Amino acid sequence: MLRLLATIRKEWQLLLRDKTGLILLFVMPVVLITVMALIQDAPFKDYQDIKFDILTVDNDHGRLGRYIREGLESGGQFNIIDSLEGKPVTAERARQLVNEGKYKISIIVPEGATAAIVSNANHIVNDITKRMGMSASLPVKRQADSLNVIIYFDPAAKKAFKGAIHQALDNFLTQVETDMLLGRIKQQLKSKDSVANTTDTLPIRLQAVGLQEHSTGTGKQLDVISNSVQHNVPAWSIFAMFFIVIPIAGNMIREREDGSLLRMKLIPGSYLAILAGKMFFFVGICVLQFYLMMLVGIYVMPLLDLPTLQMGQRHGATLLVAAGIGLAATAYGILVGTIFKTPNQALNFGAISIVILSAIGGIWIPLEVMPAKMQLLGHLSPLSWGLDAINDIYLRNGDINYVWKNVVRLVLTGLAMLAVAGWLEKRRLN
Amino acid sequence: MSGITVNELYKTYKGSAEPTLKGLTFQFEKGKIAGLLGPNGAGKTTTISILCGIVKSDTGEVFIHGLKQDAAHREAIKRLIGIVPQQIALYPQLSAVENLTYFGNLYGFKGKALQQKIMYYLELFGLEASAHKEIHKYSGGMKRRANIIAAILHDPQLLVLDEPTAGVDVQSRSMILQFLRDYNRQGASILYTSHLLEEAQSLCEEVVIMDAGKMIVHGHPLTLIREHATCNNLEDVFLHFTGHAVRD
Repeated sequence: MLRLLATIRKEWQLLLRDKTGLILLFVMPVVLITVMALIQDAPFKDYQDIKFDILTVDNDHGRLGRYIREGLESGGQFNIIDSLEGKPVTAERARQLVNEGKYKISIIVPEGATAAIVSNANHIVNDITKRMGMSASLPVKRQADSLNVIIYFDPAAKKAFKGAIHQALDNFLTQVETDMLLGRIKQQLKSKDSVANTTDTLPIRLQAVGLQEHSTGTGKQLDVISNSVQHNVPAWSIFAMFFIVIPIAGNMIREREDGSLLRMKLIPGSYLAILAGKMFFFVGICVLQFYLMMLVGIYVMPLLDLPTLQMGQRHGATLLVAAGIGLAATAYGILVGTIFKTPNQALNFGAISIVILSAIGGIWIPLEVMPAKMQLLGHLSPLSWGLDAINDIYLRNGDINYVWKNVVRLVLTGLAMLAVAGWLEKRRLN
Repeated sequence: MSGITVNELYKTYKGSAEPTLKGLTFQFEKGKIAGLLGPNGAGKTTTISILCGIVKSDTGEVFIHGLKQDAAHREAIKRLIGIVPQQIALYPQLSAVENLTYFGNLYGFKGKALQQKIMYYLELFGLEASAHKEIHKYSGGMKRRANIIAAILHDPQLLVLDEPTAGVDVQSRSMILQFLRDYNRQGASILYTSHLLEEAQSLCEEVVIMDAGKMIVHGHPLTLIREHATCNNLEDVFLHFTGHAVRD
């Protein structure tokens, strides 16, 4: 026990004197998660959360143009702009502005669009009433016009963004056309039905069955959604925890080079107690890092207009996962420190390998959006096990039963890395 | 009684075509100051590593104060030996007291007794004024002296020193050599390697000159000088046996 405690105290003294190491372990990760949460905030927001300026050119001047305008505005998602510098926007000007990237979207409602929809609705209603043996009386254009509401997208707009906007507008057009059709039917029936004529409350409803989203969680916290903070704070915290590889590996190599490792091995008693002291200390530092960054997610992110981090209800499970990640990261540092001969080699390999493991492990972007093969590879990264476990607790309100498999994976991988490091060290001496 | 017995040691490192030790055999008496001398690549560091149990030989035997260096006696031998590596095996960011407290704790010492022992040795080696100064702020000589203290905290009966006076000034060297003589007078055996043959000649009661993994010659320095008419000092003897060719 004395050896273990002495090693923890020695590592603590060394860390306190290493200002650069302290910055690397505690300041840089805080800056990293803050920057990443800020810059990745927009891609994580739902389209409903973002307000777009939309150039609208209404050449119809009829009900469709008005419906579209009112519909877009009522959703709160679009900021309708139909005049610039006091002049109405023309179709050509709108096209140019979008092409130049000054606006993301423009909608051109063509002349005669309302008339075309009304005529189409009248045509359908006339057809229905005729089939019902009644007289068709609504006016219909002789030749149907082929009109389109034109949408211009910024050429730099992403495919997913275009698809989402396109679908939203398409749904809205359908809604407008359906409303008009229902209005015509009501009008036609009203003229034939004396009761309806007096009350004017004909109950026509298209949606008999609706959609309602329910949470899959079973605990109290039901409304946590994956947003920039919920993804970035845990993800980049895990990334930063793995960066402990650099000070540990440097420390190991220095101890080997300056002979203190030899001195420690020549002291009676098991070297494992010294190693355990190191492990305890660095796992403790990792856990400290983790909770420091969670505090940043809870208290600093809201100051930057970002959502507050929700840590779930299972704090014991969170501590276990943080310790598991810390153990895997510390063991990786010891392995890297054993494999490489110079701190420079270890620094380069350690840093690059963590970036690769984090990229494939879903730290930068969620694994779900990666190609299938990359997802398979990603599930082999210890960083992805840590992130999965944290997401299970934070987003799914999971407890120890949700995370134990990933914790066991992290611990076993850590122990395997220590075993390999021990074997390599023995081999190096002989 | 034999302090160190080395019998037919063979050692080839993995990946190396050439053996480092080729049947090395010698014996040093207990309680003596012995020198293990040889040019670069002779196998001195490997020999010391095998003596301390850090490296295993392929074949051969080693006995330290009558105990065979094997798994059964490794811990007992560790208690007997104190090693002063050529490098300054101390944490540069920690002070001498912090370093020595840590290594003392690893030996199982703690509390006031340990602190008293540390202060005694720091005073003995003229480091009491710098006891709380970080090691990286020490001069080369001060580092060497602190390096020796870390190896003697557990009062070893055999002190193994790998070039303990390399790169130190005359005063520090004199202090270190005087300490080794005094420590030896208290009954401890000392095994010492150095390229400073004048120093070895004045300090050692026995020397082994080895080259290419084998013992070349063994004896008291003055005896060896006398036995070779063309040699005036230990350096002449050394060159006589190992040649003038520059080693890698």
